[in-house]
Amino acid sequence: MKLNRLSVVAALAAAWFGGSTGAAAQTGASIATLAAATTPRFDAPSDIARGRSIFVGTCGAYCHKMNGANGDAPNLFDCDWLHGGSDDEVFHTISHGVSGTRMVAFGGALPDEDIHRIVAYLKSASQCKK
Amino acid sequence: MIGSRFARASTAILASVALVATAGLALAAAPPAAGTNSAEIALPPPPTAWYADPPVGAGAGPVTQDLLSKSPADPSQWLLYGGGYRNFRNSPVKSLNASTVKGLHVAWSAPTGTTGQFEASPVVYGGVMYITTSYNRLIALDAKTGAFRWRYDVKLPDDLRLCCGPANRGVAIGGDLVFMATLDAHLIAFDRMTGKVAWNILLADYKDGYSATSAPLIIGNLVYTGVAGGEFGAGGFLDAYDLKTGKQVWRVHTVPGQDTAVLKSWAGDSWKSGGAPAWTTGAYDAETDTLFWTVGNPSPDWNGDTRAGDNLYSDSVLALDPKTGKMKWYFQFTPHDVWDFDGNTQLFLIDTEFGGKPVKAIAQPNRNGYFYLLDRVTGKFLRATQYVEQLNWAKGVDDKGRPMVDPDALPQDNATKRVCPSNLGGMNGSWSGAYDPTTGLVYAPSIEACQKYQKGMVTYVKGIPFMGGMPDTTDANENKSYGLLSAIDVKTGKVKWRYRDAKPMMSGVVTTAGGVLFTANMRGEALAFDQATGDKLWSFRMGGAARGQPIVYEIDGKPYVAIPSGGWASIDGFAGAGSILPEGGQIFVFSLDK
Repeated sequence: MKLNRLSVVAALAAAWFGGSTGAAAQTGASIATLAAATTPRFDAPSDIARGRSIFVGTCGAYCHKMNGANGDAPNLFDCDWLHGGSDDEVFHTISHGVSGTRMVAFGGALPDEDIHRIVAYLKSASQCKK
Repeated sequence: MIGSRFARASTAILASVALVATAGLALAAAPPAAGTNSAEIALPPPPTAWYADPPVGAGAGPVTQDLLSKSPADPSQWLLYGGGYRNFRNSPVKSLNASTVKGLHVAWSAPTGTTGQFEASPVVYGGVMYITTSYNRLIALDAKTGAFRWRYDVKLPDDLRLCCGPANRGVAIGGDLVFMATLDAHLIAFDRMTGKVAWNILLADYKDGYSATSAPLIIGNLVYTGVAGGEFGAGGFLDAYDLKTGKQVWRVHTVPGQDTAVLKSWAGDSWKSGGAPAWTTGAYDAETDTLFWTVGNPSPDWNGDTRAGDNLYSDSVLALDPKTGKMKWYFQFTPHDVWDFDGNTQLFLIDTEFGGKPVKAIAQPNRNGYFYLLDRVTGKFLRATQYVEQLNWAKGVDDKGRPMVDPDALPQDNATKRVCPSNLGGMNGSWSGAYDPTTGLVYAPSIEACQKYQKGMVTYVKGIPFMGGMPDTTDANENKSYGLLSAIDVKTGKVKWRYRDAKPMMSGVVTTAGGVLFTANMRGEALAFDQATGDKLWSFRMGGAARGQPIVYEIDGKPYVAIPSGGWASIDGFAGAGSILPEGGQIFVFSLDK
């Protein structure tokens, strides 16, 4: 399996904290802190536009709706994130998929940079008013 | 690789069958061995099954070709998805008419136990009803009482590649076998009397984007099935298998790479990920010995920039030699489709008139909003008329049958134009229509909705969604979608009468010799109409959104009307038919007191 940046960070964190990778994966805050330090930003207007176009071409239609309407897949524009709402957690969910659902793993299928752009688009288009 | 996988799958299933054979009707779910990592074993998990002991329907004898050819002449049987090979879905039962239909009451009802849309058309033979549910549960019931006789729940992987829900539309029956295609792209043959698996073959790897949802079709010693996968760029095909052994006899690719003319209709290598699935059931003309099968959308759905050309044979009907798969002719309804207008709606093989002369025709209410009439011997286009109320993606169809596309209706990066019909239709291949030879009318349930077609980036990777865009479901969002049941005069192409429903009409139709048709709506009602006038004659609140295909049959002189109930919130909402109604399949069977 291709290691993405977050996996590497998780492995480093596991070593740092002396735990297993699995245990380290649950120390979300620590990982997020580390990951944030290493994750490049993809929130320029051109990145967000590309992220939107990929989302429209791959993620929308029968799965995630752009307008918050009910669909087969979760609304990604409200305040609720089922698998963590930080940029790195959303990146992780897109990359690895969600077992037991038809959310397949896009890691390796889409370049990491484009997954970051999708995340940037989702955050830019959020309708969460919190 | 496929052969190896098939052999192991068969072994697993046969093993479970052997285990259950000693248990009679007892549950026989073989748990996975402790410590087994199922992700590392490319096998379908063992089924949960109850087999019939003693066998059911044994006195009826095998389903012969003669029975299939004459279907639905015998009112005690409903043998094919389309009622008969010509797909009229017209029952010979006469006792249901305008005066008796009001006396219909529930004779029995049965749950499927599954969520997701219940799209099946039941099959009835030898006093046994065979229904398939969402997630590939196959149930045999007593057609008179509803008592469960045998049941087989396919264990499916949890990472299926489905665009549009866990649907299945029913079985085919032939000899002493019933056949079900599965969401993980297998075709399974069952003993009709016991439920035991006779054979189980792999059509294609579901991880490449394949699934199968339609009822197979049987002609002679061959069983035919196609596949879905047009939202994943999975190359479509139609297969023919030996009915008794499951051995493949032929495969027809819907985008045949060896055909120069076909390749010229796709830019570059775009044909390789061009989709064009054959995801619905075909029709058969015994007179000319021709198998007709329809083809779905080119991939990616909503961005045609990388696949310039007509994209053959997407959105087409293919006329094939049923023994060899050799093509006789084709007709493409929507060249270079960028709206997802699959050509897979029901084909009606109707002998009618055109231009004052008799013609052996194919009639089809297409998903693109036009009602087509073709010469089924030559494939010549005869006529297309609009059957939906709202259509603006084209400005008509020319005399060769080619739509005159409105350039403003093409998908845009930031679409603002409301384009009709919606990508789901019009009519859609996931439900049936019917034809009554007495009235000469085709009855087509449809969605009335428009969308803003958004274009997005094209990214093809095998097994992940490959759609290139998405419809902004404008009317659905604004609660403007509604439904029609249109009665279309085949001789003129004009709508004779319409029933309008507050929600899209997404359930099938059955007509009867008594002049009464049955359908159901997304508001949970079973409905009966006068076939000639469209007068509403009867209704019954089943409760669930209706997505299935009603049938009519007769036992001991009593008529029975079977109507599935149960929708799928996701696609229902997509169409504009979302509601408070919960999911959960239930079949209702109505009858009259003698």
